[in-house]
Amino acid sequence: MHLTPETVLSCQQLCKHFPGDRNQGESGILADVNLDLVQGDFVTILGQSGCGKSTLLKLMGGFLPPSSGHVLFHGQPLSKTTPDIGMVFQDHNLYPWMNVEQNIGFGFRVRGDQPATYRHLVRDLMDHVGLSHARQLYPHQLSGGMKQRVAIARSLAVKPDVLLLDEPFSALDVQLRRRLQDFLLAIWQEMSTTMALVTHNVEEAILLGQTLIVVGDRPGRIIEEISISAPEFRDRYHPDFLALQRHLESVLERNTAAIAHDPDQEIIVPGP
Amino acid sequence: MIVIGIWEWVGSNPANPITQVLPPPSKFLPVLFESDFKIGLGSQSASIYQSVFVTLVRVFTGMAIAFIGSVLCGMLISLSKWSELFILPILGLMAPIAPIAWVPLALVVFGISNLTAVFIVFMGVFFTLTIATVAEIKRIPENLLITAKNLGGNKFNQWRMVILPAVLPGVFTLLRLNFIAAWMAVLAAEMTGLRDGLGAVVMTGRNLFNSNLILLGICIIGITGFAVDRLLLLIQQKFFWWRV
Repeated sequence: MHLTPETVLSCQQLCKHFPGDRNQGESGILADVNLDLVQGDFVTILGQSGCGKSTLLKLMGGFLPPSSGHVLFHGQPLSKTTPDIGMVFQDHNLYPWMNVEQNIGFGFRVRGDQPATYRHLVRDLMDHVGLSHARQLYPHQLSGGMKQRVAIARSLAVKPDVLLLDEPFSALDVQLRRRLQDFLLAIWQEMSTTMALVTHNVEEAILLGQTLIVVGDRPGRIIEEISISAPEFRDRYHPDFLALQRHLESVLERNTAAIAHDPDQEIIVPGP
Repeated sequence: MIVIGIWEWVGSNPANPITQVLPPPSKFLPVLFESDFKIGLGSQSASIYQSVFVTLVRVFTGMAIAFIGSVLCGMLISLSKWSELFILPILGLMAPIAPIAWVPLALVVFGISNLTAVFIVFMGVFFTLTIATVAEIKRIPENLLITAKNLGGNKFNQWRMVILPAVLPGVFTLLRLNFIAAWMAVLAAEMTGLRDGLGAVVMTGRNLFNSNLILLGICIIGITGFAVDRLLLLIQQKFFWWRV
């Protein structure tokens, strides 16, 4: 562990509005987001659908350019995607013509590495994440949960500094979701990759996060930031866990109610 | 089955005039197994197997060149918005030209040669497949490309490892569907201009008023066409089975 953890990824006064938006400026999709990702942190970004949390994640990975503000990666402005910041999408995005092993090794292959140089890394990773028995299978032969595990493994194979996850488990049923949450936590603890996960599921946000960020709607901005590294937040049935869950649900509820009450009146953005 | 049964029953009476024009299968099929059975005059004569082979080689060569060419061409066109804007309408104009319509031009340009047949097949399939390639490239889920880029793939590797395999099954399916058109085009070319191949067999039958030969030719055209279609289906299931 670092004594003074290094900030890996830093969002500074990030704003994003899309061309052709009815509303401009402060009423754009994201307004004035400031956020630091510290080495080894697990940040969960909680918000309702359409609040711009996925857009925030895309900005953080360089998948979209910000309208104003900066994303700094190791202190350098980020202008395009890099293998050092991996991304896992809601749909698994596996290549259907490659089997599990080829999919996981794709990051090496696509950048031109020779198979001999990365085969053992892929095998190790497959052992690690419990996919060795499935290495010859193709995506259409896998269950939804397995596909998502392969997708996560594919992103982790190239050892990114930061892994961004955009609602990776929202297409799965509750049971599978819980299994994969445990899977992701175990991987995070072992590999100590910095992670940022977007979700609309309050339980997931508390369970996985060390730092929890609530993104409000219209415009998308950070309305609450909580540190939840204590062990009681890893237990779904702990009273503190449930209390926080109730609190966050009411925060989201109030945010929705405020918009529903007066849809044209934009909420005033609190200053930095 | 019933039709063949009635046909055989009618044909079994040699006095019936229909038998002269439409001999039943039991009459024309055994011709196939006569060992020294040749069709044509002098040096142009060839066994029926040679004719089938000649036609198949023409169709496959034309289709293979068209398949590779149109995938490459479609990818090149997709490289830029401008080429899509300007080249696609031209292709759209060329695609509906029936392959048979190319026969006279091909005969004038290439003369009576294998090149003519290959050219006709190529023209019949190429434009449709190129348009299909461009459409398939547009259809690729964006995230597949974003992921490849994110993982550090350069442009060339993205095209080679993601876009190419993603479009192959769709384009190959269309090739299989267009095989019938290519097949008919080659037969038409062989009937009108070329002197060998399956189409020429049927035409020889016509010229000699040999109904056995005509019907045998038709039968083999049908069976071979069907077999090739199955073969293409098999290739598809073996090599291009995925759906993007």
